[in-house]
Amino acid sequence: MTATIVVNGIAERLSFAPGDMLADVLRAAGHVEVKKGCDTGNCGACTVLVDGTPVLSCAFLAARAEGKAVTTVQGVEKEAARFAAFLGAEGADQCGFCAPGFALTVIALSREIQNPTDEQIKAYLSGNLCRCTGYESQHRAVRRFLEATHARH
Amino acid sequence: MRDISGLTGHAPADTSISSDKIFSSVRKSSPKIDAEGLVLGRPAYTDDLAPSNALVVKLVRSPHAYARIVSIDASRALALPGVACVLTWKDCPRTPYTRAGQGFPEPSPRDKFILDEYVRYVGDEAAVVAAVDEETALKAVSLVDVKYEVLEPVLDFEKAIDNPSVIHPEPEIYENFPIGFEPKRNIAAAYRMEVGKVEEELARSEVRIEGAWSTQAQCHVALEPHAAFSYLDLQGRLNIVSSTQNPWHTRRIIGMTLGKSLKDIRVVKPRIGGGFGAKQTIHVEVFVALVTLKTGKPARLSLTRKEVFRATFTRHQMRIEVRLGASRSGELRAIDMFVLSNTGAYGEHALTTLMVAGSKTLPLYNKVASVRFGGDVVYTNKVSAGAFRGYGAIQGLYALESAIDEMAAKLGMDPAEFRKKNMIREGETSEVFRIMGEGTEGVAMTVDSCKLDYCVRRGMELVGWDPKELSREVGPGKLRARGMAIAMQGSSIPLIDMGSARIELQDGGSFKLHVGATDLGTGSDTILAQIAAEELGVELKDIAVYSSDTDHTPYDTGAYASSTTYVSGSAVQKAARSLKRQMIAAAAAKLGVAPGEVEFDGKTFKASGGKSLTLYDQSFNTLYRDGEAMRTLSATESFTGHKSPPPYLAGFVEIELDTQTGKVDVIDYAAVVDSGNPINPNLVKVQVEGGILQGIGMALYEDVRYSESGRLLSDSLLGYAVPTRADVGRIRVEIADSYEPSGPFGAKSAGEIGIDTPPAAIANAIYAATGVRLYDLPFTPEKVLKAIKKARG
Amino acid sequence: MEIGNLARPTDLDAALELIRKERGVAVGGGLWLRMSSKPMGLAVDLGGLGLDYIRDSGGDIEIGAMTPFRRLETSALLAERFGAFFRDAVGGVVGVQFRNMATVGGTVAGRYAFAGLNAALLALGAKVVLRGEGTKDFASFLSEPRNESFLVEKVLLPSGCRAGYASVGLTEGDFRILIAAAAFVGGSWRVVVGARPGAARLCDTATKELGSDAKPSGAAIEKAAVAAAAEAAFADDLRSSAEYRREVCPVLVRRAVSEALK
Repeated sequence: MTATIVVNGIAERLSFAPGDMLADVLRAAGHVEVKKGCDTGNCGACTVLVDGTPVLSCAFLAARAEGKAVTTVQGVEKEAARFAAFLGAEGADQCGFCAPGFALTVIALSREIQNPTDEQIKAYLSGNLCRCTGYESQHRAVRRFLEATHARH
Repeated sequence: MRDISGLTGHAPADTSISSDKIFSSVRKSSPKIDAEGLVLGRPAYTDDLAPSNALVVKLVRSPHAYARIVSIDASRALALPGVACVLTWKDCPRTPYTRAGQGFPEPSPRDKFILDEYVRYVGDEAAVVAAVDEETALKAVSLVDVKYEVLEPVLDFEKAIDNPSVIHPEPEIYENFPIGFEPKRNIAAAYRMEVGKVEEELARSEVRIEGAWSTQAQCHVALEPHAAFSYLDLQGRLNIVSSTQNPWHTRRIIGMTLGKSLKDIRVVKPRIGGGFGAKQTIHVEVFVALVTLKTGKPARLSLTRKEVFRATFTRHQMRIEVRLGASRSGELRAIDMFVLSNTGAYGEHALTTLMVAGSKTLPLYNKVASVRFGGDVVYTNKVSAGAFRGYGAIQGLYALESAIDEMAAKLGMDPAEFRKKNMIREGETSEVFRIMGEGTEGVAMTVDSCKLDYCVRRGMELVGWDPKELSREVGPGKLRARGMAIAMQGSSIPLIDMGSARIELQDGGSFKLHVGATDLGTGSDTILAQIAAEELGVELKDIAVYSSDTDHTPYDTGAYASSTTYVSGSAVQKAARSLKRQMIAAAAAKLGVAPGEVEFDGKTFKASGGKSLTLYDQSFNTLYRDGEAMRTLSATESFTGHKSPPPYLAGFVEIELDTQTGKVDVIDYAAVVDSGNPINPNLVKVQVEGGILQGIGMALYEDVRYSESGRLLSDSLLGYAVPTRADVGRIRVEIADSYEPSGPFGAKSAGEIGIDTPPAAIANAIYAATGVRLYDLPFTPEKVLKAIKKARG
Repeated sequence: MEIGNLARPTDLDAALELIRKERGVAVGGGLWLRMSSKPMGLAVDLGGLGLDYIRDSGGDIEIGAMTPFRRLETSALLAERFGAFFRDAVGGVVGVQFRNMATVGGTVAGRYAFAGLNAALLALGAKVVLRGEGTKDFASFLSEPRNESFLVEKVLLPSGCRAGYASVGLTEGDFRILIAAAAFVGGSWRVVVGARPGAARLCDTATKELGSDAKPSGAAIEKAAVAAAAEAAFADDLRSSAEYRREVCPVLVRRAVSEALK
């Protein structure tokens, strides 16, 4: 089948089988920032926003994204680059495989919850696994990023 | 309890620094040079880079734990349009090899064939399929008809030795040098050593304890599944791009096994999504290489997460017996340790992980009169075990540090004080260093940097360690308790791990640094650039790093054994020093003075009498303007260590234990690490924090489980519980002020040490809370509750 | 997933027709379905049927089948009427992305034994509305034999009550080793044990011990807890033995009731 999915603001005409998942369709279309880390929806590396809501693109039927706005980390490039600087300042960007999905979820968090507590931050991001950092440095980076973001607005 | 909220992550006041130098690039937490690109998801990993026209390779896998392939009928698969080939053991050279990414000749048995007539675990490869796309390849896999003669598997490693079922009966397999390889007895490797007479010392000891500790197999779960692709370039050379920790070992092993000249093979490591030892092997590269050589076409293979669980490698499961003897006044007199290790279907890293269980644990208690260490590594028909951070030390330390705590309790001593009394100190040595290397004899070494005493003291301060109140009730049935453990590891394998670096002055006054060293995301590209910048006296931003390409970068052993900073870093430092000498000589010639009269301040060459020359100008001079004197200023240097100076760590955990459900939560984990002078303090801290969480995962949550027929049950993240950020309270790491004279700018290593203490520290905390010792990992709620109830009678 | 055709009806009866007459497989969140290797000739996307709602319909609370877990977790209405109950039951599952996709209908229709939501609904004495079949008691729906040709339209809850949820597991987002849920609804208690690993079940003896006393004594709670452990059947699985589940059951029942009483 063929469908038009708006990816990062650009309408893309994509062809795929009805049972194909959004992650595979996006990667095949060149959006390799969408990563696949597990087969079971556990790791969050494939996170994208669909109409602003963070979802697991590995479990999201591409057909269901028809007519919807899909955002990968490149669709929020400026904000993600800003967040990347905070990660870099902590040394929290290690292998980087979890990072695009993680950055997107952090940005979704910053939009969904104002002034989250540490507990809320951890709970919101708990679906994004990281095996490198032990999460501490990521947490420091997220707090500083949210404080700086909040200060701007 | 002290208010520690103001503490930062660094050693207090760098005023007591052992080196008299003030650093400009080293000891700075410079952000890694690739942060933004990775976060934005720019194409960087193997699967991102695979050519779109590559054949997709998939593997036919055994459903049996042990079987002989009677026949393979690939006719229906080959009849499918788009299938390029189906390869079986008959299409592969009959060359035994080892997949272990290790030096040459490898200390692991050569007990593997690319494809064999036998399959030795559920998931073992039986055939290789290549097709134009994934759908076709998967369909073809299902159409390959393999007939098996099912054999009796060996699934219990305690019943493996002399089991009537022999897992490796092949006559062609062998050991490169004596490692205790007795395949007919299902033994992959064995080791024995003794210093003094341990039975006598134990008999003479006033107080003794003994026990047996069991550790489980653990999975790395690096977030990027294993992947590789290959193609033939314009010169007909085989190019392999792989998510690998050891490009050179991969190239050498594949070349020798496929019978292809090494000069015709190139291996490149792009960005890797995590290693931890998972990729310190040949994994899928050999299959894509085989397909490319057979078809002439590019080939790619990315494993699914399920395949990573089922058919890559795990940590070695071990059962460790420890006996300790001490005087009543608290002097440890004797240690006896014996290990039974399960290497699974193949013997990768069998001997070396066994030896590290002793060589990187026993020297901690160097004042004993006698120490004995031995072990056997056995085959079973389970997923093959291989390298995983800690590499035997985490298993050994769980046993040893639990035993030490037991001894302290028996002596009525504070566990911290007992350790302080007996642990190794700076300037001391241990016989074990000389006797035990990794696969071979070791290297005698005086410990020139050891801040373990500071680490223990400081850790005690950080957590408010009070031996009289290690446990307290915080709610009905809820206890909080503390435990501790100390650890050491190594920094490379001396006289075996070698790394090289080439640094070159470019027009414009910047430098290109080529290293073979493998950045797994750890940041080695960055810290190596920091070392180069420090040595040259230039800014970090003026160093461009390119790494891990067997065609373009000089040799490096690979990222394992905590060797990159110490070995590759030293090579970089030497190369930079050498280049600086060349630069000064060239500038001196240009200025018409003797080299001794020229100083370089990072931007300008200054000579006496006011003559000066900018680096910027000189860089153009050397390449464009100086006529006969033009040349490229470049230096290549190598380094191998003459010792393996251990990093040290003291870990202190606070747990909350629910005595009604047995659930244990880590509230706080404080660690003080001596990794020598930190080249990049943030990156050292993150390595240790990450290691600690993996150690906590092994202590509490992670377990590799099989069905009765040997099928892996924990084959997805639904069945294998990796810690999430909601699981652990706080991890705090401080870096001790330390300087290792033999290391680059005083550095040692930090890659593995973080993982080593949690199992013992948590076991010791559980004891403090409940009076109960746990002897097998992981400490699930069920095990804890059972132990508590048993203790209550 | 292998799907021959994906239908995206906008009318409930048309959806039901596709499921019944053309053997269409209903796709809710799709998270569990996606891991099945069974090819589907026709899949029916329920996303266009306007079933994402949580509303007070005057008597009951109605939750549409396509309401995601995340909405249950953050709903002010549910928090007002049931306290932290729904947040406790579904709030820890995997991650926010997962809970943005997992639906009430998918979990109910799948009758998943591991699901905290199903244990919670059973404790509340919920009802399931099946399109074309009418309203069913959730307990019957969970236990009766069913074929695949049905469509969950919505779930009906009482308008509010005291309810408590307790569980134990390995990591926070992981499957639960055991679940207990308790609610005081319609004048009497309901005690449910789930993830045994078998399906959630109402423990009649435990329920009887607590009876219709809105504030049962410690002794009564203890009796109920013990009764629940004796009544429920447990089994071994990858995460735990039956024996451990039996040991820890009374602890969780006690805690669920205490939560409800807060």
